[in-house]
Amino acid sequence: MSDPYADDVPEGRFQFGFVRQLWPFVRPYRRGFAACLAILAVSFVLELLGPKLLQLAIDGPMRAQGEQRTERLWSLAWFGLGFLGTTLGGALLGYVYGVLTAWNGQRVIRDVRRALFDHLLGTSLGFHERNPAGKLTTRVTSDVENLNELIATGVLQSVFDLLKIVGVLVVLFFLDVPLALFTVATTPIVVLISVVFRRNAQRAYRAVRSRLALQNAYGTELVGGIRTTRAYGREHAVAARYAERNHETAVAWRATVLHFSVFFALVDFALRATTIGLLWFGGSAVLDGTLQPGQFVQFWLYYGLLSAPVKELGEKYNVLQAAFASCERVFQILAEPHFPAPRRDGQPAVRSPRRGRARVEFDRVQFAYGDGKPVLHDVSFTAEAGQTIAIVGPTGAGKTTLLTLVARLREVGGGAVRIDGVDVRDLELGDLRARIAFVAQDLFLFTGTVLDNVRLFDPGIDEARVWRALETVGAAGFVRALPLGLQAPVEERGGTFSQGERQLLAFARALVVEPDLLVLDEATASIDSASEARLQHALEATLRGRTALVVAHRLSTVRAADRILVLDGGRIVEAGSHAELVARGGAYARMLAHAAG
Amino acid sequence: MLRRLSTVRSLRRAFGRPLALMAGHWGLVAVGALLVPVHAAATLWMPHLLGTVLDEIAHGGSKATLASTCWFLMLLAAIESAARYVSRKTLIDVSRHVEERLKNSLVAHLQTLPVAWFDKARTGDVQSRLTQDVELVRFVMGPLLLHGGSTLCLLPAGLWLMLGMDVPVTLASLGGFGVLFAVMRVLVPRLHRWSKRSQEEIAAVSQRAQEDFAGIRVVQQFTLQARERAAMARHGRRYLFANLRLSRLRAAMHAVTHSTSGLVLLGVLVVGGYQMIDGRITVGQLFQFTGYLGLMTFPLEILGWTLATMPRAFAAGIRIEELFEVAPEPALGTTPVLRGDLRVQDLTFTYPGSERPALRSVSFHLQPGQKLGLVGPVGSGKSTLLALLLRFYDPPRGTIFVDGHDVLDVQPATLRRLFALAAQEPFLFSDTVGRNVAFAADDAASDALATAVTAAAIDQDLPALRDGLETVVGERGVTLSGGQKQRVSLARALLADRSGLLLDDTLSAVDTITEQRILQGLRRARGDRTVLVASHRLSVVADADLLLVLDGGEVRERGDHATLLAQGGTYAAAWRRQTEAAALEGGTGGAS
Repeated sequence: MSDPYADDVPEGRFQFGFVRQLWPFVRPYRRGFAACLAILAVSFVLELLGPKLLQLAIDGPMRAQGEQRTERLWSLAWFGLGFLGTTLGGALLGYVYGVLTAWNGQRVIRDVRRALFDHLLGTSLGFHERNPAGKLTTRVTSDVENLNELIATGVLQSVFDLLKIVGVLVVLFFLDVPLALFTVATTPIVVLISVVFRRNAQRAYRAVRSRLALQNAYGTELVGGIRTTRAYGREHAVAARYAERNHETAVAWRATVLHFSVFFALVDFALRATTIGLLWFGGSAVLDGTLQPGQFVQFWLYYGLLSAPVKELGEKYNVLQAAFASCERVFQILAEPHFPAPRRDGQPAVRSPRRGRARVEFDRVQFAYGDGKPVLHDVSFTAEAGQTIAIVGPTGAGKTTLLTLVARLREVGGGAVRIDGVDVRDLELGDLRARIAFVAQDLFLFTGTVLDNVRLFDPGIDEARVWRALETVGAAGFVRALPLGLQAPVEERGGTFSQGERQLLAFARALVVEPDLLVLDEATASIDSASEARLQHALEATLRGRTALVVAHRLSTVRAADRILVLDGGRIVEAGSHAELVARGGAYARMLAHAAG
Repeated sequence: MLRRLSTVRSLRRAFGRPLALMAGHWGLVAVGALLVPVHAAATLWMPHLLGTVLDEIAHGGSKATLASTCWFLMLLAAIESAARYVSRKTLIDVSRHVEERLKNSLVAHLQTLPVAWFDKARTGDVQSRLTQDVELVRFVMGPLLLHGGSTLCLLPAGLWLMLGMDVPVTLASLGGFGVLFAVMRVLVPRLHRWSKRSQEEIAAVSQRAQEDFAGIRVVQQFTLQARERAAMARHGRRYLFANLRLSRLRAAMHAVTHSTSGLVLLGVLVVGGYQMIDGRITVGQLFQFTGYLGLMTFPLEILGWTLATMPRAFAAGIRIEELFEVAPEPALGTTPVLRGDLRVQDLTFTYPGSERPALRSVSFHLQPGQKLGLVGPVGSGKSTLLALLLRFYDPPRGTIFVDGHDVLDVQPATLRRLFALAAQEPFLFSDTVGRNVAFAADDAASDALATAVTAAAIDQDLPALRDGLETVVGERGVTLSGGQKQRVSLARALLADRSGLLLDDTLSAVDTITEQRILQGLRRARGDRTVLVASHRLSVVADADLLLVLDGGEVRERGDHATLLAQGGTYAAAWRRQTEAAALEGGTGGAS
């Protein structure tokens, strides 16, 4: 298995494919996004209007000496009102813009997350075995979250910031060409400093994050591992190791502090220096009489509008990079084929309702995992309706793999698995799986109540049916003894139940759906004889009258089976009833001899 | 008075320790702190110069004055930036030092606390004190010192300068800021609340996804996709709702800040314009004034920020101190040379806070070099017995003796040096496999390491691990299977080379073939070590000198393998079942 975090590279590049892939998600909200764009344009105009009004007020009523005082005051009041209007209008538009972008963006994000999650539920077991749950969870959470930057604000805002810079520069050129040229010459320097330092700071932050993650993991471990540490008397060593990691993080932190202090100082200085330069050139022009004081002031004010989008752009650039990387990872998963693939011939799937019994046939089944090493060779056998087939053989013989082929959790590499004569690949998948119940060696418990876990959240199964199933497998007693009975919450990963109890619950889960076919990976025997007896009873009750494939670990199970398959190296080396195989004196008979000790 | 005294006391309780940890950095702190007012002075000087020069330009001043003013402004800008750089670098660096030391001393302290304390403490809680709370305290020691100090200089000085220029304009603009401040105080707590809510919802999404992906086999087999989809949609809706609320608040805050600065400017314009019409101030002064106003915004934001954070930082400081106040495990006792003669006499033990005894009247005697097998279902008391031998808990006096010494009289560290423990759910640190094996013996020779690795059958996994023994496991590394972890833990115990070996169901997740290999290796590597093995798998304990079958804390059967088989009780039945199971897995080769 490769390093699950190896792809944790936050720097991505823009790909045109993203647009095509994202469009279906954005399309439903395109009107909203268009509205956002319109709002941005209007607020930009308002923003440009502010300084103009200010300049008009200064050059008009404030300084025009000729007119009457009251007239000037009235005029000032009108300008004030106009300014108030643009300010409040701008604020209101800003609010609507903020709400609307969130409304659009968050919905797109929700849709992407939903699509990704749905898709992941339908990808093959092989894919899930290659990709740890933690990694896939990150895709669904933080990666999708990063996309938000792209969709909600990122692209729109950046394009707009760029337009704003261009717009302001155009206005500046109209006001005064030499001063505008000075601005054009100096602005890129500020942008460059900003981008370079943001980028370095971001790298430094990344170093902090990865070190901090490691340090915090160690912090958690040293609490959880206290017994190990204490048993070996390694308290000092553990504290020292933590200190080492802590120090690495601290060093990384100090690097970010350096970047940040330099960044703030330099950007501030650069902005100040260009402003002072502007003062020098503009002031000289005014003194030379080539520029009106009012124009200079106006230029000054418009120039001030530049700094915000310039700073923003530098910042956004780095955020977008992370978003691109996430985008790539998300679409990589969405491109993963769905399992099972749709039928190529386009024929509709065969419906296969539950009918109380099933006949299973393995016909020259081949199977190999992704690495190409064959696991099953030419496996052929038939379980007639109502029969129990026991499968025995050494670890790694392919027993568990064989079980997963029946419910089509994996696809055969050759040959066919048939249920009632129909290839499982032709059956409607939902129908097929609804007819089969799978009991694994260890019960996987979901967060929820005992009831939820037995009926697997299916409200169509009423409590009476659940109790009947619990009764049948002999689990009703301990469930009734729980403080809340069926409603008792299941602790994380079922820590509250003993091994035996979990087994009984697993049987109950299988029974309650009244399956036509049982696929069972028998758990290894426990120490406790009482719980063994209960389990044996539960197993008998579960198997009664049903077709079943059982990977067996108990002689009693094997003996009771109608047919026994001895699997070794992916081949059936022996098959037959207990009596037949004993009489043959082959592999099975040797096993029995060992079992007798 | 009394109340103030107790406030001082609790402030000292919260921040005394981090302040003390600043020791050795006071020089740097002084430099950084002294430069804060320098920065403020340079910053405040600039608007004045700018205003003056603007008026001069408007009234046709000389180019020479303009040039000298520009140079002077340049100088001030340089001083401003340099002072800002130095004070930021020194003060924040020092706060990171304090953070580092505080975390180290907290971890060192945690390492001394009794095991029983950890049973009650929640890992998440300890972790949040070690991370979030320390960060909050650091915030007070660094950023607050920097920005707070700067605010303390800028706010009154700026106010004084503004008042000196024009009282009505100052009051008009202050009114605007006052409104902003009041609105923020209402909005910020809500923002915190919804942001917490949003984080909780995404955590729920994450947990659900994690669970579904981990249990994908069950999800697909029982076709739970539709239901999980619906559940996820529900979580998604709640998350969306929280986020929309959050963004509404953010937008409102943005709008308020934006319009306030606009309104303040409007105030300056109208009131200042009025003053100008009457000839009381000039355009340049108006600019100077707006310049001051621009300088006020950030300090005011900081003030709001500080007011919001201080109580949280204070609470964090107290929470950290609470951990420091937990008493360490007593380390007193004699330090005899122990050989490992174990005598347990009528041991009944009940966990603190529990009513049912975990062990009842357990007695046995084990001589050095002997092997004891503990057999029984989960919760039968096997692990408790091992924990008591290591004195993770105090047994009643007169129940456990090592070489004739009551374990209560022996220094815990001395007692523990007698044993090496390999636990059922073994603890691996996120570090390399090699370092995990050498956990108890960093200075182990490489051939000793190799021997331990082979004896625990880790060598068979090494080819599959990318960097062999150097492969990093855990966080940011590969995830080992349960069986692999158990074997690493076993190798660790073997390498520790102690005279006693405690194996707590260490081979439960190891397959039978590997188990046989390990057992053979163990028999060779064991030498004259005393071994205590708790196991569900009887093949692991069958060769013990003494076997105890435990149930509900009581010894139900006792004797060696042959005796117990002859008794035909629980042990014999379990032995038969396990032999069968092994045989059915035996295949044609018949491994068992």
